[in-house]
Amino acid sequence: MSPNRKFALSYSYYPGCSLHASAKEYDVSTKGVFNALRIGLKEVPDWFCCGATPAHNVDELLSLALCAKNLSLAGKVEGDLAVACAACFSRLKTTQHRLKENDIKRKQVETAIDGPVPLGKKVKHLLEILAKDFGLDKLEGAVQKPLTGLKIACYYGCLLTRPPEVPELDDCEAPTIMENVIKAVGGEPVAWSHRLECCGANFTLSRPGVILKLSNEILASAKDAGADCIMVACPLCHGNLDIRQEEIEQATGRRYGMPVFYITQLVGLACGVSPLRLGLESMIVSPAALLREKNLL
Amino acid sequence: MKNAKMHLSTETMNLGFVKKVEALSGSSVRRCFQCGKCSAGCPMRSFMEHPPNRIVRLLQLGQWERVLAGRSIWYCASCETCSTRCPNKVDLAAIMDALRKLSWDAAGPSKESYVQLANRLFMENIRTYGRQYEMRLAAVFNMKSGQFLKDLMLGPKLITKGKLKMFHAKNQNVGEIERIFSRIEEMRKKGEAP
Ligand code: SF4
Ligand code: SF4
Repeated sequence: MSPNRKFALSYSYYPGCSLHASAKEYDVSTKGVFNALRIGLKEVPDWFCCGATPAHNVDELLSLALCAKNLSLAGKVEGDLAVACAACFSRLKTTQHRLKENDIKRKQVETAIDGPVPLGKKVKHLLEILAKDFGLDKLEGAVQKPLTGLKIACYYGCLLTRPPEVPELDDCEAPTIMENVIKAVGGEPVAWSHRLECCGANFTLSRPGVILKLSNEILASAKDAGADCIMVACPLCHGNLDIRQEEIEQATGRRYGMPVFYITQLVGLACGVSPLRLGLESMIVSPAALLREKNLL
Repeated sequence: MKNAKMHLSTETMNLGFVKKVEALSGSSVRRCFQCGKCSAGCPMRSFMEHPPNRIVRLLQLGQWERVLAGRSIWYCASCETCSTRCPNKVDLAAIMDALRKLSWDAAGPSKESYVQLANRLFMENIRTYGRQYEMRLAAVFNMKSGQFLKDLMLGPKLITKGKLKMFHAKNQNVGEIERIFSRIEEMRKKGEAP
């Protein structure tokens, strides 16, 4: 009997490379929240890198083949595939989308991975699992410590909504799914201008100057809108907004001191998951003072 | 070239290159009517010498060499804003992928080397280890790009937070990953894949 059977909802899980390194608090808090909500999660054994942006940037076939092989590994684990990273999510879904539409590419990929591509395996971002599969009503019912008074700038970035036919998650110009989750757990989403702008993502290694400009605009916009903190659902966005925040402050001379949470950290906090199981101590911009001020810690 | 008088004909349009891009990207290049919506929303516009709509126009006019020689295609962040908003369903993000591939395959006349270096190291990591190890990636990148002090302050911060892994287990699938790479190379040699 699979260990997941005892749960009404259970998923296979593709964490992606970042969640095993610079974004380990996203992995830890995902497991913490799923455990608290009694949602099963089983990691795909020996999954490998989806190729992310660099692969599709220069070699579409390779990118499709890497994702297709990961999908077939995931096929061996029961349940829809839960993905935490917005970039992995986008690549895996893009692969299914392109190969469904294009027989020539599908045949090339099948030759490359020497097997069929599981186009039917449902790929879901955590956000979708929490808001739709588990459901906002049940989420509201699971809250033990509502995030009352916490003003949150929900940041979608690029790949959770674009291009709309790939993620199929929400409206591509005016999404509300993140804000709905935050309202369900008692937080206050703020209205702000940069929810869907790009953080500079992949340039963090090659051209950090790009990050300084784009991520600074996002931090400034959140601050100006009165947010206490930012919430993300992608390790690349997190790296640029959290890890590089001090550098951005030095470059621009503006102080933000803006904690950047993963969605699973905030939902976990509200649902009574111990802060120790949410990886809050791994955040570079410490949330301790803010959470204490709001009586959340 | 800038002030040269332009004559439009099927020859000057170099339809062959346009068709290549269209086949690779699965998107029409010819359908663009220059509304500029793509460039209006492009977050990387200020880093590019040719904004996205002009790249499409240059392709339509057969001036692809100017596109490949510039750095604009390497400064596209693949944010998908242009593809999402184009009224003519021109998939510019996919066109950018196709242009980078063509430039990459031709060993790139482009000026932008850092992005290409980062891409190459990223791919080598996949082939060798199966997963990305950020610390290794950053260290090798700094060494090869000669920027030994880049992000020096980030390292200790990340290590204290346990965010950089010093050791890693070998992925059980490296053999299979290697076969994927080599099968693709094989297909290309035989002309069975782009
Ligand atoms: S949005 Fe589309 S039609 Fe308009 S300029 Fe860009 S590619 Fe051309
Ligand atoms: S995908 Fe590239 S070209 Fe298109 S809007 Fe984003 S950065 Fe600009």
